This record gives sequence, structure tokens and C-alpha cells, in this order.
Amino acid sequence: MAPTTRFRAFTGLALAGTLAFSLVACSSGSDEPAASGDDGGELTTVGFVAVGPEGGWRTANEQNIQDAFSTENGFDLKYAPSSNGDQNSQITAFTSFIDEGVDAILLSATEATGWEDVLNRAQEAEIPVVLLDRGIEPNDESLYTSRIAPDNVGISASAAEWANEQFPDGANYVVLEGPPGLSVVNDRNKGWDEAVSDNLVKLESQSANWSTEEAKSVFETMLKANGNDIQLVFAQNDEMGLGAALAVEEAGLTPGTDVKIITIDGTQAALEALAAGRLSFVAEYNPLFGEDAIEVVNAALAGEDVESSIVVPSTTFDSPEAATAALPDRQY
Amino acid sequence: MSIPASRSSTAVRMVTGLFHQPYVWAIVALILLLIVNLTKNPGYLGVSVNPATGNLSGNVIDILRASAPIMMIAVGMTLVIATRGIDLSVGSVMAVAGAVSMEFMNNTGTGSFGTAIVAVLLALGISAVLGTLNGILVSIVGLQPFITTLVMMLAGRGLAKVITSGQNTSATNESFRWIANGTFLGFPVVFVIAVLIVAVLAALVRRTALGLMIESIGINPKAARMAGIRPVGILVSVYIVSAVLAGVAGIFSTASVMTVEVAKTGMTAEMDAILAVVIGGTSLAGGKFSLTGSIIGALLIATLDKTIVYMSIPSSATPAFKAIVIVIICLLQSPRVRSMFNRRRTRVIIAEKETVQA
Amino acid sequence: MATTAPAVTEPIVEMENISIEFPGVKALQNVNFRLFPGEVHTLMGENGAGKSTLIKALTGVYKIDSGTITVGGVQRRFAGTADAQNAGISTVYQEVNLCDNLTVGENVMLGHEIRGPIGINWRKTHEAAHEALIRLGLGDLDPRQPLSSISLALQQLVAISRAMVTDSTVLILDEPTSSLDANEVEGLFTVIRRLRDEGVAILFVSHFLDQVYAISDRLTVLRNGIVVGEHQTAELSRNQLISEMIGKDVETLNSLGSHRSRVVHSGGAPFYSAKDLTRKGSIEPVDIEVHAGEVVGLAGLLGSGRTELGRLIYGADKPDSGVVTIDGKTTDVTSPVGALAQKIAFSTENRRDEGIVGDLTVRENLVLAVQARRGWARPLSRKEQAAICDKYLTELNVRPADPERTVKNLSGGNQQKVLLGRWLATQPELLILDEPTRGIDVGAKAEIQETIVALADDGMSVIFISSELEEVVRLSERIIVLKDRRKIGEIVNGPLVTAESIVDLIASEGIVS
Repeated sequence: MAPTTRFRAFTGLALAGTLAFSLVACSSGSDEPAASGDDGGELTTVGFVAVGPEGGWRTANEQNIQDAFSTENGFDLKYAPSSNGDQNSQITAFTSFIDEGVDAILLSATEATGWEDVLNRAQEAEIPVVLLDRGIEPNDESLYTSRIAPDNVGISASAAEWANEQFPDGANYVVLEGPPGLSVVNDRNKGWDEAVSDNLVKLESQSANWSTEEAKSVFETMLKANGNDIQLVFAQNDEMGLGAALAVEEAGLTPGTDVKIITIDGTQAALEALAAGRLSFVAEYNPLFGEDAIEVVNAALAGEDVESSIVVPSTTFDSPEAATAALPDRQY
Repeated sequence: MSIPASRSSTAVRMVTGLFHQPYVWAIVALILLLIVNLTKNPGYLGVSVNPATGNLSGNVIDILRASAPIMMIAVGMTLVIATRGIDLSVGSVMAVAGAVSMEFMNNTGTGSFGTAIVAVLLALGISAVLGTLNGILVSIVGLQPFITTLVMMLAGRGLAKVITSGQNTSATNESFRWIANGTFLGFPVVFVIAVLIVAVLAALVRRTALGLMIESIGINPKAARMAGIRPVGILVSVYIVSAVLAGVAGIFSTASVMTVEVAKTGMTAEMDAILAVVIGGTSLAGGKFSLTGSIIGALLIATLDKTIVYMSIPSSATPAFKAIVIVIICLLQSPRVRSMFNRRRTRVIIAEKETVQA
Repeated sequence: MATTAPAVTEPIVEMENISIEFPGVKALQNVNFRLFPGEVHTLMGENGAGKSTLIKALTGVYKIDSGTITVGGVQRRFAGTADAQNAGISTVYQEVNLCDNLTVGENVMLGHEIRGPIGINWRKTHEAAHEALIRLGLGDLDPRQPLSSISLALQQLVAISRAMVTDSTVLILDEPTSSLDANEVEGLFTVIRRLRDEGVAILFVSHFLDQVYAISDRLTVLRNGIVVGEHQTAELSRNQLISEMIGKDVETLNSLGSHRSRVVHSGGAPFYSAKDLTRKGSIEPVDIEVHAGEVVGLAGLLGSGRTELGRLIYGADKPDSGVVTIDGKTTDVTSPVGALAQKIAFSTENRRDEGIVGDLTVRENLVLAVQARRGWARPLSRKEQAAICDKYLTELNVRPADPERTVKNLSGGNQQKVLLGRWLATQPELLILDEPTRGIDVGAKAEIQETIVALADDGMSVIFISSELEEVVRLSERIIVLKDRRKIGEIVNGPLVTAESIVDLIASEGIVS
């Protein structure tokens, strides 16, 4: 079993590598027009319809985008965070970017559905739209230029494979999801469900709204409902995983020994917890793809063809040692 | 009602009295929910000592712990609603209180008892300031409570983000953590604190004339003014009380995980509070209020949340499930439905009497 | 050409034996009312006499408990104003309900726009509006200008044109002149006369006597929900009209003695005096003095300023200026809290909105003012509350004498007694009573009057406000007469003073001005 996983992880990395290479190739091709833009001293105006403060991952991601699209790099980035994840506020920001006539729009949608109208309007105004992280549903690729995101399906599949490896004789597990309906949640469920082996029994799957506090409360009840007979938690983000760890400790059990917890995202807090043995597996969902976004925007403005889906390479951490090694360089 | 007092025992009178309380259906619903849980596991209500931690452990304990923050904001909300107002800012105030305390403890770095005390005082202090602002805008400036507190709801969450620079902030302080996770004589500390606060508040409201004045203002503000009641002081006070209790709830929430999640802490808490108040039988139109009812409402909401998880109701169905339960309770409490029931009951009683006579 | 004399034809509206009852109040009792085509008919009566209830019964706003309404020979039962409008009955209220943001023409034609093959033909619609305006002699008004650009008086006329577009045969004008100046009133009357001559039946409500005499052909007088007279305006003197409106409640008269036989106050310094008490738009400078043990009556018609003066003394409205002396000390009363602290209490005429706190119990209502004065931190003990309840429930004979009953379930008269008890419990030295006997049954009325006399005998100062002049004359030592928000005279009561004396004073003042 183990070799296959490693092999897949390797191919994943290799694929990501090729992709990165092709992007570089792409960007070298687009040097000309970008440079000519710089000559005129004109900044490229980019509107960023963002999610806003949500957690460590989001903060790192949006900071990275803002840092990348700097004046030095020839951009004027207009950052528009949503008001508490409200889709309406995002649509309003999006529409006003169209009305302002920005050169390109970056979109991290808080909700997957309901974007057709505004995306059509952007298309009519010939403004390229690049989706960052969050996708849209139905996923009509003609509506946007490209989507840059780590591969949620692949990441949670790698988490599932680690679980299969850990519990060859089977185990009971629960899933702590994000809010129902999000594309991330759907993708992370999909990757996990496809890859997890049959002798791992899913007892329950509940939303804890990405929140530590809710996850603690939800998992505390899950433990009671199942007489502590849960060996594995698949938490779809770090915060919920940390909440589950607190609930485990509260119940007098030891995380890592009695209950193994898997989280996705790979924030500093999660790696610290992994280093301390409170979490067992952290799959990184790489938030740092500002540079990739610049490439795509420039290519789109230059009228070149862009891949409709660009996968950001991510890694996994499966031991305290790996976490300890990665921590000093952790930016988020 | 028709039973002569001499023949009815105290217990019977208490039960009939209970049936005239507006929150009787909330109690019925609470019992039903517990029964539903019991069908899954007959040991649901059992409380045992956890050998590893030495604390009492059980679903009931969890419910009590989860209900504490809701209780706090629901009680504050009750007083505000009784004056014909509403406080939409409680959730944001929770976040602000949590943010202030976490940020302070994170920066001072010492995990001492003193730090925890200062953190609590800071959190309550800033909550009181926000509540005072609400109260002044409503009572002196004369803005509508809905608008005022809606603005405060947005501003408060913004403030929480400013305090923590938009980051979820964690801290380590055992004393602070104990508030939410510790036990006192086996009971969760949060619940003990919540009960104490509610008891003090209930005494303050019902043993003084404050309750009477709040109700008068809520039922008929003009008449209250003509009777010589000064509304400004009372209005400002209820908004301060509501905000400070929200601050306490914020401390409870963040102490539980020792993290403030600026976008999550207290999110939609105002809805839970309003629901608890309505379930408890206090009319949104203001006037007569019942603190007991709101506490039962808070317990019901906490139980409902826990039941959803315990019964493994799929997460996509939880909002609908919650909504259905609450709609049914509210329906059963509406005066029209209640009067329909009463008419039916009287008819049955009359019918019985007639049969006896026949 | 129609004549101005009332038509001998069939009435267009005939209301027979109309009764409407609200909880605790008989709003209308067996009222008969007729309206003929081509007449201007005025409804007269004090506040609460039943004028607006009658109009609302006719236009379908209120359901009638008994009686019949016949319109144009057909018996009708209207489910709402729309129903009434379809039967040709239109109402123009004192607050104009038109759309500010539309043009004059659009307002006139709203709902009756002229349709062409594709949607509304605006040109023709505006032409039709213009014709409708010409019909009222408003040909100069441009139907295309926005409504908000014309005066309130013109807006009222636009509202009338709008009513006429629907071919109304009955036009109800509810206090249309209350915010118009003299010229505007004349303009309105021209339009009313024009419509009358076209055969429209016009029902007019106003409390300005001069206007009533200027415009109406006939009038119906209501008091306490009963029709007390139907007259040709020309055949009724002002004095007769005022006496009918204000009335003599024979039963009450019999239940109590005639004038108070008590000797007037001891002549020392007054307990309360105010010089030049004023509030802009409410009342012009008034002087008033009240001695201990004295009942001072405030008399005047609706809108004369009698209630406003009471509120000003209590501080319910803040006076703009005036020098107030209480018990020899110069002071200010600017709020109810301040008034209660200086032993002044005020029982409002608006029992439901400003008096009782409906959802609270009788006990809570009784102790409210005393408790407010003590502050929230010093609650009355159960025992003290019980003492207050016992005392006033017995003394004022409140039925049922159950302190824990919700006050809104009591009858109007008993609610009034509870209110009186609330103020008496504060042990005031000056008690202002505004219409304490309105809308309550005769028995309760007599009891309250007796209580007032007894209180004054015990040395309390009382300011007594009532629309019933007989009552004022019977109870007061001195009567301050008000008209049009001014004090027009002060009468020292005596055997020769009757309600007629006051009526004469009010009527003569009116004609001169």
C-alpha cells in the first residue's frame, strides 16, 4: 500500500512541476506586452473580490495575493473583502469593478452558485475573470478565464490514503465539514470518499462551520453518541481539527493515540499541534499562489490561451518531525 | 381553573399554573427532544464521573455547558425586547469581548490568574462601552433600535477584526480556560456562573421595581412617561446589561477553545438569542417578559443543537430541522392557536359535565 | 340647475339604527342619518361623539353591529373602502393621501388611466385629468406638474377631483379645512358649492362653527354616540347648536345635587399660579391660579386649548415661557417627573394611549406613579402595594375589586377609576383631570364627580377639564373659558352661572372675530 501512495504523491508533484514549468514558459511569452505596459507607466488595475478574514489560511492567501499584485509588479490591486462571507456583498463588489472598468477581476467566491449573471456581464465588458481557490457551480468554464487552486479532491484523497495506511484493519471515523453547499466542502468530501477504503466506517458527518468552537462542541457530542468508539476524525480545515483535539482531551482521551485527527490547510497553528502530537496528519492546501495568478492575468490580458484549471502544488505532513522541520519557514 | 382551591393540592395548582405559562410548549418540546435522544440510547441522561479527568461527564452536562452563552445573551435580549427594542449586536459584542481578552492574554504572555482577571475586566468593560453607545443612540438620539444595533453589529465585528488584525488569535491561560472547561462541585463552571448571573439579574429586576418599569415602557411608553417614569436611564441600562452579558457569552465562547475566531465567534448568536426569547413566551412587541421562559428557550436551543449531532441528522438537513422545531413551538404559542386549544378544552370540559349530569 | 334647498327626493344615503360597540364603549347607539343629493350636510359633535365612527361605518372601515345602510335605494354592507368607492362614496381625509412623486394628472387619474393600443396613452390621460380639473374650476392647474410642487390646499382639491373622476355621488370631507388659511377655505368652498349644484351629496366634518354656518345646508349633531338633532342650518342658532353638542346629561344631573354649595376658597395665596404660560402652536399666554380646596374648570370647545393647558401645567408638554409659582416658590415644571415631585398629578383624556398600561394588572397600574416617584431601587413592599389597592379599590368602588386582574379587561369606567386611584395614591396637592368622565357609563360618571367634590373638600386643588359644560359648571368654583387656544374669560361660579353663560361667551366671541 505504502509504495503506491508515495508513487501517487510523486506523480502529483511531478505534474505540478510540469505545470509550473509550462507557466513559466507561458509568462516568458507574455513578457513583451507586459513590459510595454510598464513602459507607459500605466498600472494594470485588478479588482480582487475576496472572502475577507475567515481563518489563518484565508489570511495567508489573501495577503499573498495582495503582496504579489504590488505596484512594483505593475498592478493596482483593489481589495474588496466580503462582509462576513455574504455573497451579496461580493456580487456588489464584483459589479462595481465591472462598472469601474478594471482590467481584470480575481474572485474567491464565498458561495459556489449564483454567479452566472455577473460573470456574463464581465464577459460582455471583456474583463478576464480568474477564480482563486473557490470554484463556481455549475462549473461552466466558458464563463471565466481560469481557476487557480490547490486540488481539493487530490488533497483529501491523499489524506484518505494516509488513513487507509494507518488503519489497515479498519476503524470508525467521523467527518467535520465546512458549511454545506460550498464547492470546497463538496470537493474535499469527494476526494475522501473516493479514496477511503471500505473497512473504514463513516459514523457521521456534520458541519462545524469551519469553527474551532463549534467543532469542539460537535465532536464532544459525537464521542458521547458513539461511546468514545471513534478512532479517526477527518476535519476539513485546521480550525475544526484543533477543536476536535480539544474535545478529545476534554473527554479524557489522548489525541494521536485514542483518536487520530486529520486536517487540511496546514496553517502554523496546525503544524504546531502536529509537532506536539495533538494532530496526526496535516495536508497542506497551499495558499501561496500569487505569482501564478500574476502569470495568468498577464497572459489573459495579452490575449493568450490560458489553462482553464491550474492546480497549485501542495504537500502533506504526516509526523511531528515533518511538522517541526517545516515550522521555521511557515509563512502562515 | 374550575377546581376549588381547598380541594386542589399545591402540586396540582403548580402544574395548572405552569400550563398557563407561555413557555409550557418549550418545556414540552424540551422533554420530547430528550425522549428522542433516549430512543437512540437509553443511557442518554446518565451522568458519570470521567475516570481520566475526575469531572462529571454526560450529555446533560454538555447541554448545560453549551446553553450557558445562549442563556447570557437571551436574558439580556429579553430585557431589551421588553422595552420594545431589539439588540442585533450581541453576536458582534461577543466577538469583540473575545478578541480583547485573547489579544490581551496573547500579548502579555503570562498565564497568571491576574492576567485572566484583567482580560475578563477588559472584555466586560469594552462590552459595556458598546452597550452604552447603543443605549444612548436609542434613548437620547431616538434612533430605531433595529437600525442602531444593526450598525453596531457590523461595526462590532469590524472592531474585533481591527483588534486582532483580522487573525484568529489564541492564548494560553489556565485560569481563563477554566471558566469554560472547568467544573465546580462537578458542574461546569460556565453553567454555574450563568445561573448565578441570571439569579442576581432576576432578583434585581423582580425584587426591585425595575421589571415593572421596563414592562410599562414596553407596553405603553407614553403612559409610562405620564406616570413619571424616566425612560432614558432604563433604556440605557438595558442595552448596557445586554452588551455586558454578551461580553460574558463572548468570554465563555472563546475560553472554551482559547481562540477567538473573528469571523465565527458569536456569528448569528443574535438569532439564537431572539429565538430563545420568543420561545420563552416574551412577545417581540415588547411588554411583559419572562426571564424563566428565555432560560428555557436557551436550554431548548442548546438541546436542539446537540440532538442534531447526537441523532446524526445530515448537516445539510440541520437548518431545516431546526426551523421546523422552532416554527412548531412558535405556532403552538401564538395566542390564536392557544385560544383554539383553550376553546377545545372548555368544550371538552363542558361535554364532560353534561355527561355527568345526564 | 339644482337648487340649494335640500331636495325633497329620496335620500342617497340612509343609515338606520346603526349601533357599533367597542370594548367598554358604545360608540354609536341606534343612529339614524340621512344624506340627500345636492346638499352639504355637516356632522357636528365633540371629540368622541361618534363622528368619525359614523363615517367609518358608512365607508366600510368598521363593521356595524346592527342597523342598515341604504345607498341609492339599495341596501349595502361594505367590506371595505374599495367597496364603498365602487358604490360611489369617496372620502377625502385631512391628511391628503396622494402620491407626492407623481404628477397632478397622474394622481387625478390613478387607476383610471386611459389605455391605448400599447399601454397607457399619457397624452389622453392628462387631457382627461385636465377636464376633471376644469370641472372643479381648476383649469389653470397644469396636470403635468408634480404634485409636490403645489400647495397643500391645492392638493386637497386635486384629491377631490380624483374622487370625482370615479363618478362619486357622495363625497365625504373629513376636517378638510383644519390646515388651510381663510383664502384657501374660500377656494375649497367654491368647489364644494359647484359640486353640490351638480347634485353631489357632500358630507362635511369640521369643528369651526363659522365655516359650518357658511357652507352647510343641514347638520346632524352627535353626542356620546347618539344623534341629538338633525336641523336645517338656517333654523338653528349658534347657542342652540353648542348646547346640543355639549349637552345636558339629565340622569347625571339628577344623581348629583345642583351647584356646589361650598364656600369658595379662603382667599389666601394660591397653591398654584402661572403667569403667561405659553407654548407655541399649542396655547397663547394664559394666567391661571388655583387655591387649595378649589376646583377650577377649563371650558371650551374641542381644539380650544383646554387639554393643551392641562398638559402644559403638568409638564407633559414643555412650556416655552411663563412664571410658575407653587406653594409660594417660583419654580419650573418641564416634565411629568418634575410635576409629580411637586405634588401635581394629571389624568389624561386619552385613557388608552397615555393612561392605562393595558397588559399590567390593576395593582401594577395603581402603584405605577408612586413607584416611579420612589425610583426603581426602592420598591414598594407587597404590603404597601396591597394597602394602596385596598384603599382605592374600595374608595373608588372599582368593579371587579381584583387587584391581580389585567387592567385592559376592565370596563372604561373602571379603568378610569383605576387611573384616578393611581394619581390619588401619589397624594397630589393639585390634581388635573382631563375628561375624567368621557365615554363611561352614567353610574361611574356620578361616582367620579362625587369623588372630585370630596377631594376638594379635603383641601386638594383640582383643575377640571370637560367638554360637558354642565359638568364644569356643576363642579367648579371658577371657570376659565378658552377659545381658539386663547383664554377669553374667567367666570366666578354662582347661582346665576349656567352652561348658557359659557355658551354665550364662546358664541359671541366667535362672531366678532
